[in-house]
Amino acid sequence: MSALVTFDRASLGYGRRAVLSNLSFEIREGDFLGLVGPNGSGKTTILRAILGALQPITGSVTRADGLRFGYVPQRDQVDYGYPLSVVDVVLMGRYDRIGLGKRPSSADRELACDALEHVGIRDLADRPLANLSGGQKQRTLIARALVGDPNVLILDEPTNGMDLVSMTQILGLVRELHERDGLTVLMVSHALNEVANYVERIALVADEKVHIGSTDEIMSEETLSNMYGIPVDVSSFNGLKIVVARRGRDTRRS
Amino acid sequence: MIDAILLFADALYGALVIAVACSTLGVYVVLRRIVFVGAALAQISSAGIALALFLSGIGIGAFGLTRHPVALALIVTLAGAMVFAGSGRQRVPPDATIGAAYAMAAAAGILLIAKAASGEAHDIFLQGNILGITRTDTYVLMAIAAPVLIVHAVFYKEFLFISFDRETARTLGYNVTFWNLFFYLTLGLVIAFAMQFAGVLLVFNFLVLPAVAGLLIARSMRGMFAVAIIASLAASIIGFSLSVVFDLPTGPAIIAVSGALLLIAWLIRIAQQR
Repeated sequence: MSALVTFDRASLGYGRRAVLSNLSFEIREGDFLGLVGPNGSGKTTILRAILGALQPITGSVTRADGLRFGYVPQRDQVDYGYPLSVVDVVLMGRYDRIGLGKRPSSADRELACDALEHVGIRDLADRPLANLSGGQKQRTLIARALVGDPNVLILDEPTNGMDLVSMTQILGLVRELHERDGLTVLMVSHALNEVANYVERIALVADEKVHIGSTDEIMSEETLSNMYGIPVDVSSFNGLKIVVARRGRDTRRS
Repeated sequence: MIDAILLFADALYGALVIAVACSTLGVYVVLRRIVFVGAALAQISSAGIALALFLSGIGIGAFGLTRHPVALALIVTLAGAMVFAGSGRQRVPPDATIGAAYAMAAAAGILLIAKAASGEAHDIFLQGNILGITRTDTYVLMAIAAPVLIVHAVFYKEFLFISFDRETARTLGYNVTFWNLFFYLTLGLVIAFAMQFAGVLLVFNFLVLPAVAGLLIARSMRGMFAVAIIASLAASIIGFSLSVVFDLPTGPAIIAVSGALLLIAWLIRIAQQR
């Protein structure tokens, strides 16, 4: 599998202040990678570097030629007060291909409807965006990311604020897109338990470091206790792994 | 009655041009939640006029700029627009920047006019004087409004995308900083010229109330633009006519009608939801 994005001893930060130092890892073609870490750990900084919105202070972040990202922003980053229909929003994913100053054609509209079909909400194409449930909004944003025919699908905190059913359905959909279409997926999340049982590899961001490996490698008590700085237990339930912080005085971080 | 209104036909045409330009850009102003940028830019524009009058009064020509207050108003308004376009990335919250600019511009305008040689006579620039619009003024307004509206029609999807979801637009290669600045400059341009004739309050009205009416009853962007433009035209024609017939101040009469139309839009919205 060829590397689509390569971090080579990259230090990332704002101004001269490095938030993360000496990062070396790859996002490979066909990957299903979870970028996981607590809030404020630097996930967004890494995401910005992957997207090319942030240049490394030292080292390099290289992207394969012709790489196209399908970006699904955090749901609360989008303003649902606009009088837009679902298909209007999905069409935005093709705006750069349509070209400057040109209007979407009927072929673009068809592709947008196909993308909605792909995520299971073709029947909602003409529904106002504001009238959708949280899960339907997320599917709309995923369809918008897919309609541009990306090499890598990037989802930023896709399950934030979702109930259990919607969360399970969205994560199941993303896994299906990866397995069925062979799409490379990067899922950014603060919730290790939510994504760990869906992705194939995890890049764990904590204490200014990134530890990357297969789900089994990362989901070990030793690795997680070291990364989070508190003792954790990893349990198995119906084949699923669950991380629980150990109770007691020693769980408090100074 | 019609004869009395037709006496001011040129002024009415000018008001209609201002209404269409401001209400079209007002759709973005309302959706982007930057309504007070409109108020602040109008206030900054009026401070620019006051500055031109003040400098002219003390004999400073500034390369001829002070002989044409609109030129200085345009420069300071576009400078203000550029500051607002970049204010999202600073430590100070954007609304605080807008508030500070509004207060400072309002105070500067009053202070400069107070000390301008012919200040009181020029108070009209700050208040606006719709009835004083001449045919030439209308042509000038059209020469500004038409290119801005054409730019917004041609680049509709670009302005929509960077307003709706700038992060995703950035990932698709859009130069969001450029488009954002471009948007603010078109807004500043329209406000600087509209302000000369309509005054701060009426410009603010045209930027906000018709677009809110559109947001209440329209179900698409096209519908929102259409309702906003129609509401602004209707408010202008009805308000203008009432002001002539009943000898009322024109700007406030138009705003009152805009308010009434907004109330009707709200009632339609309630009816739609039943």
